[in-house]
Formats: sequence, structure tokens, C-alpha cells
Amino acid sequence: MQNTSFIGCGFRRDVLILAVVMGLALCVPGVLNRGLVFIAGMIWINAVFGLSFNLLFGLSGVLSFGQAMFFAAGAYATAVLTQHFALPLVPALLLSAVFGGALAALVGSVALRRSEGVYFAILTLAFAELIHLLIANTALLGRNDGLAGLVRPRLGIGSWQVDLAAGDNFYYFIVGACGLLILFIRWIVDTPFGRALQAVKQDPERAEFLGIPVRMHRLAIFVLAGATTAAAGALVAPWAQIVTPELAHWSNSTNPILYTLLCGSAYFWGPVLGAVVLSAVFYVTRTLVGMSDMVTGVLLLVVVVSLPGGILGLLARSTRREDKR
Amino acid sequence: MSGVLLEATALDKSYGRIRVLRDVNLTIGAGESHVVIGPNGAGKTTLFKVLTGELFADGGAVRFEGQDVTRLPAHRRVHLGFGRTFQVAKVFPRLRVQDNLLVALEARVRRANPLGRVPKARADTFPEAIEALLNDTGFGQQREAIAGTLAYGDRKRLEMAMVLALEPAVMFLDEPTAGMSAAERQATVRLLQSVKRKRGLSMLMTEHDMAVVFGLADRISVLHYGQLIATGTPEEIRHNERVKEVYLGDGDEHA
Repeated sequence: MQNTSFIGCGFRRDVLILAVVMGLALCVPGVLNRGLVFIAGMIWINAVFGLSFNLLFGLSGVLSFGQAMFFAAGAYATAVLTQHFALPLVPALLLSAVFGGALAALVGSVALRRSEGVYFAILTLAFAELIHLLIANTALLGRNDGLAGLVRPRLGIGSWQVDLAAGDNFYYFIVGACGLLILFIRWIVDTPFGRALQAVKQDPERAEFLGIPVRMHRLAIFVLAGATTAAAGALVAPWAQIVTPELAHWSNSTNPILYTLLCGSAYFWGPVLGAVVLSAVFYVTRTLVGMSDMVTGVLLLVVVVSLPGGILGLLARSTRREDKR
Repeated sequence: MSGVLLEATALDKSYGRIRVLRDVNLTIGAGESHVVIGPNGAGKTTLFKVLTGELFADGGAVRFEGQDVTRLPAHRRVHLGFGRTFQVAKVFPRLRVQDNLLVALEARVRRANPLGRVPKARADTFPEAIEALLNDTGFGQQREAIAGTLAYGDRKRLEMAMVLALEPAVMFLDEPTAGMSAAERQATVRLLQSVKRKRGLSMLMTEHDMAVVFGLADRISVLHYGQLIATGTPEEIRHNERVKEVYLGDGDEHA
């Protein structure tokens, strides 16, 4: 079953994997300190960021260098909606995702109009820099300082109230929200839409001549990935309690690319594992100034040059070899 | 021939200053096999692209079942009943054979809507449809095979099955036997004949192999430097002086 398509694993097995990982993640606050719990939350958010990128790249063959703009859009939207407009958290998160999708529709309808491949990638990069500058020069968004001191809101349905600022409550909320997003992204892959996207990636001309409107499909997945990316970014605002223009910086756009390439764009779990591995690298090298970038660079170089399928590709090959014995 | 299915009138197409098609008029009748022949560079592939919507004509019109489709993009023409195979067979190389067909079957249901769902009742019929398509095109027990690993002849067969999954009214075949061995070529001719018989398909094809051309064609058009110099039955074309001169040579050794 390997290599047959984007994933290799069946839907049920992937749901099971997700459930197990979520279960383990819920134990994290019990065993690790506050700092590590914060990192664990960021890993969940970054996993969704990476998966959203790979919906474009691995599934549909659309390479975007500017995904950070949607991440930042989601983060700022939630910050503004919850702090300035005192909107409850869940509606704010949903609106942020919608906002990310709308922004992606705008960017995509311009960038996908006449360009493909690397030209499209460069256009997304240009748009992201535009958004970066826009944020850094808007008073409402705190210019270069961003918006700090964001308060984690309460979550309430009727008489049932949870204070997300208390204890590790917001961490659990992140695990739940990211779990749902990952489930949603995994579900997309198995729909006729997901299959059509794989077809578009593998041979756009053939797809067009099966009646699949190629540009429309690329735009649709770009919008969808923009929305899920914004949803991930939206979780950052209350979690880090600060949003800065750096979120839209091009270097943040490279993060999901690194996660994906490190562990394999052909595998659904590639970006997730990549987010874990790179976060671990950052953590281990956190006290050595500049070291984490160097380690990341060398790691990526080794993987891309010697393991074209990423770390998961290597694992898949070695298990196949085991099977043959 | 009962009624005209597709009608191209006064087609013009230029690449920069090079005029590739000049005033081409062509029809495909319902249930007809129409073969376009001509030397390399005559404009056959461009004609195909203009008819199927990959390129738009600079002048002239394409009508399908009376509807003007001249400016309609390729996928929209597919929804109307166009099917197309390519000179070098195009399949989805990393998908299994059956998933290649599934994509085609789903595309037919979903049409232009990317988020279009496939009703469950419809999806339940797909395994049977895949089975039937594989049988029709002579596939054996290869449905689980990755399309990219298939032999070239089988890839062509799969592409044909994918297009048949769309249940097209007219099929455009760009050199269906290019790059095939003699045995594969014969098998392809038999396949096309049986498909035509079973489904009453109309076909437009380009082809270089004269045995294939005369084996399949109800009507032949000859393209030369972007102009149609003759259209007629195989017999008429075989004895057309102008065609002999520019393309068939003496004709006899081909026919």
C-alpha cells in the first residue's frame, strides 16, 4: 500500500494514531514543567501549520512560500477580536479561520491567475512580505511591537464555564482544537476532492481533460489551507499571549516547509513529525546562540541530499526491507 | 451518417507569426470515425488542441451539438461530452490503476464543483464500473498495480479506460498507436473498433500508421501546412491525386 498515493495509511488507522497521540499529549502537563508544556502546545499548533502547508505541497503540488501571512492573519484576527471587541474565544477562532480563508481567496485569485510552480511561490512570498509590512505599520495592530499582554479568555457554554487562563486548561484546549483540525485535514485527503487534488498534482493536463477544473481546485485548496493555517495561528495569540509582525515574516513561512521536507512530503504525518523533531532541536540547542539554526540547516541538508523521502521515507524503506526478509 | 455532432468552421490559429491552421473546416458525424492525417508539422496536434479547448482559435468557431464552444475551457468541453487521449499516454503515475479510474468516475459526477460530493448510492456503483472498464479495455488482474509501473501499451489502455469512464460522446485520440509494437497496434485497433461498436462513440483521431488509418476510418481528412486539402472516404482519399503527391506517395505500399 505504500507509495500508492499521498498517505499510505488508511483513514481509520490514522484516526487511531491521532487518538493515541492526543491521549499521550493530555498526560504531558502531569509529567513536564511549565516551559515544556508551552513548547508542547506550540508543537501542536506548528503541526497544524505544517499539515496545512502540505495540503498544498504534498497533496496538490502547489508550492507556497508565504504561508506565514495566513498564520499571522489568524493570530492578529484573534488578538483583535478577543481584546478589542471582547468576542468569545470560539467565535473569534472561527472568524479568524474565515478571515484567513478570505485572505487566501484574495491572494490566490491573483497569484494563481497566470502563474504556476516557482512563479506562484515567489508571488506568495511577495504577498506575505506585503502583509508583514502592513502589520508593522498599522497602529491598531501595535506596529513593530505587536500586541502584548493578551488575556486567555474564559470558555463558557451556558452555566458551564472554564477559565482558560487557569492551570493547563488552555493547553488541553489546544490539544482538542488541533486534534479536530488534524482530523479535518486528514478527512479532506480521502474525499473525492482530495483524490482530484492528487490527480492535479500528478498530471494537471490529464486532470483537466477528465473534466477537473485545475485552477479552481488549486484555488479551493489554497483557500482551505489558508483557513486551517489561520486557525493554527489563531491559537498562538492566547497561548503565547503576544503577537508580533515576526509571525508574518518570511522566516516563519519556511517553518512548515522545513517540517515537511525533513520528514517527507509524501506522508500525511511527515509535517507533524517534522514539527516535533525541529522543536526538539530548538529546545536542545536553546542556550547556544545561533546553534539551532546551524543544526537545523545541517539536518535539512543531510535529509534532502541523502533521504529524498524524508525521515518517514527512510523508515518506510527499512520496514519494507524487513518485510521482505 | 446521421447528423453532425461537432462542427469546426474557418479555424485559424497562429503561433506568433507562424500560421499553423488556415481556414480549417471539419465535421464529425454522430458515430463516425474521422481520421486526420498529414505530415509532421502539418498542424494536426494544434487542430486537436483547438478542438478540445487546450488552445483557443484565433478565428473561426467550434460547435458541439449546435452549441458554440469556441471559448469554452477544456474541462467544460469534457462536461459536454468530449474525451481525449494523448500522444504519450497520460495517467496518474503514483495512483493505483483502480484509483486512476475512480478519479475519472468521480470527476464525471462532481463536474466543475471542487467541493462537489459524490452521493453514496453513486459511489457504490463505482467498483462495478471499474471492473467493467477494465474488462472492456482488456486489463487483467492489474487493478492494484501502480499506474507508473505499467508497460506502455497498458498505460495507453488505462488512459482509454479513464476517458471511457467519462462516457464521452466524442473521443479525440492523438496518435493512439504511437510508440507501440505491431502486436500492440493491432490490439489497439481491435479495442477501438469494439469500443466504437459497443458504445456508438464518435471519434476524431490523428494517426501515422496507414494500416490503422484505413482500418478504422469512416472518413479521412488530410492536413497540409495548416490547410485541409482533402476530405473523403478512405477510398476517395486513397485515389486523390493531391494527397498522393503530398503525403501518401504512391500510396500502395501503405495501404
